[in-house]
Amino acid sequence: MTTYAVEVVYRGIFQRTLSRNICRGIVLAAHKGGKIGTAFGRYGDSPERNGIPAKYFAVVADDQLELEESLAKYEPKEVDVTICVDDTLCKGVESWAWYGLQPINALTKEGGALLVTSKQAADALLEDIHRKGMPYRLAIVSGPASFSGLWVYKDDHTDVRILGALARVCPGLVSMEAYEQVIQEIWSNEAKVRSARRSYDQTRVRPVEPAEGNTSVPFSFTKPGWTQMREALTIVGVPQGAGFRGGQGGFQPARSEVFKKFSTRTMRPIVNFQTCTKCTLCWLQCPDSCFDVTPDGRYDANLEACCGCGVCADVCPVADCVTMVNEAHFNDNSSQYDWFQRDKDGYLRWLTETVAQQKGEQRSHGFHHWGQYKEEIAAAAAASEAGHDN
Amino acid sequence: MTTTQKLPAIRGVHNAPLEEFYTSGHRTCQGCESALVMKLMIKAAGPRTVVLGSTGCMYVANTTYYSTPWVVPWMHTQLGSSGSAATGAAAGLKALMKKGKMKEEPINVISFCGDGGGADMGLSAISASLTHPEYNHLVLMYDNESYANTDIQVSGSSPWGAHTSFSPPGKARRIMHDRWKKNTAAMLAHGHPKSRYIATGCASYAVDLLNKVRRALTLGGPTFIHSFDPCPKGWDYDPRYSHELGMLAVETGLWVQWEIEDGVLRYSGPSRMIAIGRRKRKPIVEYLKRQGRFAHFTEEDIAYFQSQVDEIWEKWGTPGVSSVKLDLKGDRA
Amino acid sequence: MTTRTAEEAPVAGREELISGSEAIAQACALADIDVVTAYPIRPYDTVMQFLSRLIADGALKCEFIVAESEHSQFEIVKHASAVGARTFVGSSGVGWFYALEAIAVTAGLRLPVVALVGNRALDDPGAFGCEHNDALAVRDLGWLMNWVSTGQEALDTALIAWRVAEDPRVFLPCAISADGAFLTHSQQIVRVPDKRLVDRFLPPYNRGDLQLHPDNPITIAPQVNEDWLMEMRKQTDAAMRRSRDVIIEAYLDFNRIFHRDLTPFTEEYMTEDAEVILVGVGTLALPIKVAVRRLREQGQKVGFLRLKWFRPFPMPEVQKALSKAKAVGVIDRDYSFGSPMHGGVLAHEVRSALYDVEPRVPVVNFVAGLGGREITQPFAREMFAITQQAAQSGASDTQTHWIGVRENQE
Repeated sequence: MTTYAVEVVYRGIFQRTLSRNICRGIVLAAHKGGKIGTAFGRYGDSPERNGIPAKYFAVVADDQLELEESLAKYEPKEVDVTICVDDTLCKGVESWAWYGLQPINALTKEGGALLVTSKQAADALLEDIHRKGMPYRLAIVSGPASFSGLWVYKDDHTDVRILGALARVCPGLVSMEAYEQVIQEIWSNEAKVRSARRSYDQTRVRPVEPAEGNTSVPFSFTKPGWTQMREALTIVGVPQGAGFRGGQGGFQPARSEVFKKFSTRTMRPIVNFQTCTKCTLCWLQCPDSCFDVTPDGRYDANLEACCGCGVCADVCPVADCVTMVNEAHFNDNSSQYDWFQRDKDGYLRWLTETVAQQKGEQRSHGFHHWGQYKEEIAAAAAASEAGHDN
Repeated sequence: MTTTQKLPAIRGVHNAPLEEFYTSGHRTCQGCESALVMKLMIKAAGPRTVVLGSTGCMYVANTTYYSTPWVVPWMHTQLGSSGSAATGAAAGLKALMKKGKMKEEPINVISFCGDGGGADMGLSAISASLTHPEYNHLVLMYDNESYANTDIQVSGSSPWGAHTSFSPPGKARRIMHDRWKKNTAAMLAHGHPKSRYIATGCASYAVDLLNKVRRALTLGGPTFIHSFDPCPKGWDYDPRYSHELGMLAVETGLWVQWEIEDGVLRYSGPSRMIAIGRRKRKPIVEYLKRQGRFAHFTEEDIAYFQSQVDEIWEKWGTPGVSSVKLDLKGDRA
Repeated sequence: MTTRTAEEAPVAGREELISGSEAIAQACALADIDVVTAYPIRPYDTVMQFLSRLIADGALKCEFIVAESEHSQFEIVKHASAVGARTFVGSSGVGWFYALEAIAVTAGLRLPVVALVGNRALDDPGAFGCEHNDALAVRDLGWLMNWVSTGQEALDTALIAWRVAEDPRVFLPCAISADGAFLTHSQQIVRVPDKRLVDRFLPPYNRGDLQLHPDNPITIAPQVNEDWLMEMRKQTDAAMRRSRDVIIEAYLDFNRIFHRDLTPFTEEYMTEDAEVILVGVGTLALPIKVAVRRLREQGQKVGFLRLKWFRPFPMPEVQKALSKAKAVGVIDRDYSFGSPMHGGVLAHEVRSALYDVEPRVPVVNFVAGLGGREITQPFAREMFAITQQAAQSGASDTQTHWIGVRENQE
């Protein structure tokens, strides 16, 4: 008697179809092998928001009774495999349904596996992934995070490549052959079957020692009891803000103490304070009020408030003044403006290098125009058939 | 009418107030234009304001229990109740001040609703609220063109042909949603002569929106603003382009920016340029092709959509505002 | 509780011939309400007709808003109450149901709105007569609920309602039920107390740090998930539990200030030695009390227990009054189709309250007076007789008797 539980941690909306495809693929393939299972999104994560972390689950058991045993819980409390379809989530998961940061491997069983789509190496990912304190395995499906919107799905084969890798890291769950059969049935697409097989062949599993990983303690939040909560469904509002860094001049809004956007972002804006013309647009058009206004009239993105939408970069009239860069390369939320004030040359050098380095690895946030995904997929498929990872 | 706060017009982006009264703590989507509308709305109104929010994205995604983005007092109101909420709060404040039970001062009352709460369910209550000249309040309808909080279902304000979770393009029917209702503000303006200010706006034109909110609150009595809010989730586009999508809607003439103050209609910004013939409308396809919700459109659909936009500019009695034309030649009989 | 002092000598007030609705309108004026919203539906709206007259004549200064629907009517007072205004509202029958969403959230938000329910049958078919299913629809939601049976009681109870609802230990809305037509439309001599005494009884509504005002920047009713809602429900539960003592306090003060002798939760009529007791709410008390007197004249040990408050349910009073009886008959002017006894709401609650009483008292359920049908003396005697049979058999009769329903004429 064995029950397998798999979770997919994904970016809300952007990866909803992807996660659904993965979990449905698992359950349907398991059913080919005579097992029974269920696939479901975590209700507490709905309604999903663009970019906000969410979860999808697949639970597979030998028979109906065994399945019911594991479904008696609202959601699995531990999983055999955690699939993370965006490596920026390796920093942890702050769903909109709870407070605090949950390590990406929080539900991963001892000896279980964490499967991540990433272009980073395992050691780099383990700088973000919190220390588990027990052994587990890490596998990487090499490639960028696949993002698309609600209605148009970017079918870049990420879904089946995950399934192929899953057959490698968790062979007891579903065989590669069953996945191939189901992929063919669902999509009638030989190329997708080949992508899955290639992923199966290429996936390597790296053991993770109990002591490996990010040792920082993630933000946690203790919920008050009913007599500690204010009456009549009320909470205290956010206090009024004050001058920049609490001093004279500029403005720094007060911000939520308990919701800090630890893992809402996949990209972050970096600002060239020297070319900034103080036009105000990044600040004025930011839906998240994330820019602190400096006394000299510049705008410092406060990264505890930034959700990485990129509107600031889009409205900025100066080329390369605000640039969106991959969040995966950052480990803190410290102020860019403070650094710039401390060490102007050092900051600008870093900025130039970072912008140049990231030109080639621009992450996508979904839809820009009709036909875009077809163009992108064609390019990626050609590369893939040629034996490259992308 | 009790006195109102005199909120001067903001001349240019550099004069926008630095203070934020809607700040971080909300969990809206990346690039949420409605969140920006909230921020601008309350930036314009200032701290002596109470805000009432109807059920919808700007309720559920904004105020998730134990955290809030609101610096000013804020209260949830039911989906169809933005008008009643505004009337109730304004009436309560007025009564208490008149009777000496509360310190007399002009307090802004702003009540907001989405298109579902305003253009559909709450229309009658908003209409009623606009008949009370003795109460000062603003109802702001943020229109993201679907029931965006509940999973992007079609609303009365969704555009023709849009893919929503209630109007998926299918094999038998490519276009499941073929209704067209966009001029809620104009509809309200025409039947409520005691409302001194009714306008449309869009956060892509931030200063214009700030000033419209200020104008509404300064004039007092019951007022209404309809804002057009690109929604990256429901419209299916990369969130960084929210601002661009808002501009495209105005530049293609799909969304018309105007205000009616004391019975006088004025177009704003690019809409005015289009109306006086100084600017050509961009083809609607430039707007449509940027959104996944229209990705199923055929050439024929695009042409139809274009014809509808052409119609509001070329055939309506008051372009972009009212389809009614005047005929003084005599009655039909 | 304070004792009566010389300085609190009675201030006469005045006597007036007024209907139950008018009595409530007078209470609104005495309580100096700030915001009232009206929408027409029979029979409750007579209170609004009287109120609009009081306002037009300057006897009451308040915002009188005629809403465009019952939903808006209740939403408007809800928000007015949130900013600190004392409010009054009301409805009947399906009008109350049209407002039900707003009614539900008013309790959730802990807003002390006071409402009159002029009890009326629900559509369809359209019917103006009295049934209690309108008010009972909110029995589980956190509304304080009571039924009044006379014009005087209507006035008194309204004053008590604001006092209890607005007490910071409670902060719950209160629905005063008055039987349509029987009470809303019939005039009786009512003593209207002096405003100075009312001011002594009823302190100003002070919402404290829950008030919606720029000086108190709070966020009210943010969205919650499963991590929070149960705690919030528990808070409402605690407030409803606390309301019992607050009600008792209010009646003690009321009696002291107005020199009255009211009992807080129930009215017992000749129950002391009664073997058979009928239980009911509202104006049916009148015919039942008459029947009690007549049956007593015949030597029958019968009595009547009237519930004045239904939420919080007066469990100790009901147990105490009924535990010595040999059988209890509960009259429901309502229905709960498919319920355990296929009977009414009240009977099931009374039966539940008596479950732990030793020895257990047999309970019979009567559905009577629906649609405003009169509860006549023969009907009253019939109910006593059926209950008497249960007393003799010592067993509950669970079939539920429809009293006065017309059978086929042979």
